[in-house]
Amino acid sequence: MKKLLGVALGILTAIGGFVDIGDLVTNAVVGSRFGLSLVWVVVVGVVGICLFASMSGRVAAVSGRATFEIIRERLGPRAAGANLAASFAINLLTLTAEVGGIALALHLASSVEPRLWIPVAALAVWLVLWRVKFEVMENVAGLLGLLLVGFGVALFLLGPDWGELVRQAVPPSPPATEHVATYWYYAVALFGAAMTPYEVFFFSSGAVEEGWTAKDLAQNRVNVLVGFPLGGLLSVAIAACAAVVLLPAGIEVSSLSQIVLPVAQAGGTLLLAVVIVGIVAATFGAALETALSSGYTLAQYLGWSWGKFRRPARAARFHLTMVVALLLAVGILMTSVDPVTVTEMSVVFSAVALPLTYVPILLVANDPEYMGEHVNGRVTNALGMVYLVIVVVAAVAAIPLMIATGAGS
Amino acid sequence: MSRESSSGAGVRVVDARLHLLSRQVLDVDGEPVTTVDDLELVAADARDDDAPRDAAPGEPAELGAILTGPVLVTRLLGGRPPASRWERVPWRDVGHVGTALELTVRADSLDVHWPEGWLREHVVGRIPGGRHDPEEAS
Repeated sequence: MKKLLGVALGILTAIGGFVDIGDLVTNAVVGSRFGLSLVWVVVVGVVGICLFASMSGRVAAVSGRATFEIIRERLGPRAAGANLAASFAINLLTLTAEVGGIALALHLASSVEPRLWIPVAALAVWLVLWRVKFEVMENVAGLLGLLLVGFGVALFLLGPDWGELVRQAVPPSPPATEHVATYWYYAVALFGAAMTPYEVFFFSSGAVEEGWTAKDLAQNRVNVLVGFPLGGLLSVAIAACAAVVLLPAGIEVSSLSQIVLPVAQAGGTLLLAVVIVGIVAATFGAALETALSSGYTLAQYLGWSWGKFRRPARAARFHLTMVVALLLAVGILMTSVDPVTVTEMSVVFSAVALPLTYVPILLVANDPEYMGEHVNGRVTNALGMVYLVIVVVAAVAAIPLMIATGAGS
Repeated sequence: MSRESSSGAGVRVVDARLHLLSRQVLDVDGEPVTTVDDLELVAADARDDDAPRDAAPGEPAELGAILTGPVLVTRLLGGRPPASRWERVPWRDVGHVGTALELTVRADSLDVHWPEGWLREHVVGRIPGGRHDPEEAS
């Protein structure tokens, strides 16, 4: 019974923890401009993140080595250093977006100026990182994040023309008003949002934090293979809400209040309140994950002592890195930059950095010295190779598309 | 890069580039210490001396120490830091070479540990809760 409860909890937190500000914003923007014609990208992204998250979790559980230790070991100091610089910068951008997202959601709930919420949000994030046990932190944020199911409820209350939604999705038929390059630009952005590298840094390091061993592999697989696709459904619900309400009205999403507009229209204040709590929890959880990831990547590259399971004094440089990252994020937000814009940037640059992270994971998952009998099977490797091609294509295309489309405008 | 073979029951060939460089170093309690940024090769007969010397060409060489700290910068950018700035973990403290290098000593006893120790004593340990064990109930 207790074991079953553990499995259920793991799945629920994986669902609630899947959506972050990147998924939220990108899906709403895409839904409001392209309807459901990009849903296939969410599917491709979810399969990819399932594949590589479970692979990095398996490597960490079997060998005890987290992802960035492996990147450093396989790529050497130079290429891994380049990856570190890129990953750290993108991670910082994502952290900035998440902290900004918390502030925007609290602003929606309280109508207190977001800039007053930013330091409060960052302080709260730091206090949790400093004090709260890893498992408690992950479970609370994940479970509250489940409230985003409100987007699904809203979709049903809106009573859309389901046939029309399906027609937009299969076969993908982008609206004639949008340029084809813009369509592909948002495809890359959506892919980057679903496969952000920080998720594997966090996932593999989390496996070490929770002391996983080969025995926990089955649970790891269930969490990922059930939880992430259900989390992906939340993403689709967000896009569908925008497609039903915002697309016909010609509203292009540029703020969080527009993202929740369909929810307010369908379910009134009560459902809106539920969804706002869900957004705060989801962005807060992702802020914790990205802050931790900034510490994980740097500490693992340089071999420092790291981990939330240690006393902060026993991982001093790791904790200091997270403090500095949070201060930098607050500093960036205090320049009044729009967190929604920061989010859109961060998902595109995520797409650029994907190959440098996913190639070493795939290599080590096939190395018997690390994995023993738990090396990749043939199906996993075949899928891994297919995704490697997709990831490289997305990375190469991201910047040219960004320039050609003027960042999607 | 060199090959170092440890004699014993069975000889195991360790490829320096593949099995040593850029691997994580753990102390005797499993706490991460550093990464192997470079290796110091010394003359075989002078390995355990206080003043190890470089092996002359043709002379047998042995691993003297794991190097870290400033050598990472010079490995990235080229050059060589002065020997006084080398941060060394003596090779005799290494107990096992696996997916990580496991030491037989505690991190606190090593010279390379000073940045972590300094931050612990002067910054992180002084913030309230800095020495709190997160695995205990708070």
